[in-house]
Amino acid sequence: MTDQSKRIKDYFCKHTTRCTIEGVKKSKRFVGHDVLKADAWDKVTGDAVYPDDISFDDMLYIKIKRAVHPHAILKDIDISRAKKVQGVVDIIVAEDIPDVRQFGLIIRDQPVLIAPGEKMRYMGDALAIVVAETKEAAKKARDLIKVKVEELEVITDPFRAMEDDAPNIHPDGNIVITHHLNRGDVDTAFKDSAIVEENRYQTQFIDQLPMQNEAGVALYDERHGVVDIWAATQWLHDTQADVAQSLRLSKDQVRIIQPTIGGAFGKKEDVSVHIHLAIAAMRTGRPVKLCFTREESMITQSKRHPITIINKTGVDRDGYLTAWETKFIGDTGAYASSGPAVVHKGMYHATGPYNCPNLRGVSHAVYTNNTYAGAMRGFGTAQGAFAYEQQMDILAHKLNMDPAEFRLKNIYKKDSITPNGQQLTHSVNAEETIKRVMELSDWKGGRK
Amino acid sequence: MQITLTVNGEQRELEVTPYTRLLDLLREDLGLTGVKEGCGKGECGACTVIMNGELTASCLVPAPQADQAEIITVEGLGTRDNLHPIQESFVEAGAVQCGYCIPGMVLAGKRLLDENPKPTEKEVRYGLSGNICRCTGYAKIIDAVMLAADKLAVEGSDSND
Repeated sequence: MTDQSKRIKDYFCKHTTRCTIEGVKKSKRFVGHDVLKADAWDKVTGDAVYPDDISFDDMLYIKIKRAVHPHAILKDIDISRAKKVQGVVDIIVAEDIPDVRQFGLIIRDQPVLIAPGEKMRYMGDALAIVVAETKEAAKKARDLIKVKVEELEVITDPFRAMEDDAPNIHPDGNIVITHHLNRGDVDTAFKDSAIVEENRYQTQFIDQLPMQNEAGVALYDERHGVVDIWAATQWLHDTQADVAQSLRLSKDQVRIIQPTIGGAFGKKEDVSVHIHLAIAAMRTGRPVKLCFTREESMITQSKRHPITIINKTGVDRDGYLTAWETKFIGDTGAYASSGPAVVHKGMYHATGPYNCPNLRGVSHAVYTNNTYAGAMRGFGTAQGAFAYEQQMDILAHKLNMDPAEFRLKNIYKKDSITPNGQQLTHSVNAEETIKRVMELSDWKGGRK
Repeated sequence: MQITLTVNGEQRELEVTPYTRLLDLLREDLGLTGVKEGCGKGECGACTVIMNGELTASCLVPAPQADQAEIITVEGLGTRDNLHPIQESFVEAGAVQCGYCIPGMVLAGKRLLDENPKPTEKEVRYGLSGNICRCTGYAKIIDAVMLAADKLAVEGSDSND
């Protein structure tokens, strides 16, 4: 390692607290000390128990029949041939569970099973729960389920979804939510700006891709009326509450037991295997297991939102930001999931770590027939960062100013106020960070 | 059909179907759940075992193909109270987060050090290139394998004395 890269590494370590270095003031027990992770021993020996590692005698296996089209009305579902497969114990369709309610993190818009006459809205929608003595039998039966559908227009673009003549994916329209941001006098500030720059940015779907797919095991204790579910979740009590309301049980009838989680990164905030497991366990009275394949996980569970960001940014002659207008449109796919919160947070971070007195913003989460988007590390801010940093570089170039110097002029300092009105009262070291990066990287200025 | 194989030093005779994967045989028939499934396509390395001395994605091996094979899984290296130096190094280097990739990483590290006891960082990176981790960013996993190389070198010189 060269001296320079060593210095950068040390600096990075100090400022991200990912590792300890000498010279940091140490607390007595943990801060500034290497602490060995309590569960590391179990994980290096293979002893750690993840959901798929749990098994019971006489356990049944579940496979889910999923949508055959991203936007279609289910006309008919025929399970007669599937039921004849040797080893099949139960095939559950919507008419078997008429009292079960929809679920969802913020808006309860996700059906547990699609009933005839209802719509499938993306390829991950569940049509039937197949329960069998072996995985092979469950798979074979699932593939023998016959489905008739009436195809509808498939909407993959949120801008198409927002047009007046677009079909509604959900009854109340395709715009799930709209948030606004207003501060100062944006129109006058743009008029008085030396340069105004407007650009459109587009980010893409990203799968969180934790190493362990969604998986779980459930057991129904009929005597006490309690269903036990061993499955990963990031929000234990929210998952418990959502499963309970969906099944019309009280919360103390649903126990979610958290095994070791094989990564999540936001993907495991949403309900995945839980409700289907509970239904199958309660109907069969036997322990049941449901493990997604990687393909199923990618088709069915949440993604990072693709976001269209339209940023209009003004600066004065001295290089100070004057006004910032942002439109922040998130493709939340077939279901809302965390979308309403992701586009809200993303909009509030529209200006990044830069001061700007006059602000206007609007953000939407929009339904499409894509796989639904939800939480992923950064929760809307990663997409915004790409757009505002590009704006900063373009403006610096137009001002003929060093992009580092331009950022230093506008960077948050102590007592800066963020777009959502939060005053930063302590620990604002963005300015110091930029200066140190300039020093460590031997920055020579980025002027053309 | 009947196959015979040696798993972690113990000879086993098992009845398998032609479509059973070695991964399922190890996890379900032998209860060795330290072998993980990540992708089912031989891409991620979570199901890594050492088969006849080579790193092998057990999700791609039909069980009948493992007839007469010698298999080592993570359970064959060390136990909680008696860790293999590589396992010990993973704990000490802070290389473990969610842990799902770790059994495969530990075995890839062992296979590398068996062949090349003093690897460079670049050789460690190459040795682990068949194993995906989504939590750590790899830096501490690489540190762990380098640390294990040091530990094994010291152990080796002790036994020579």
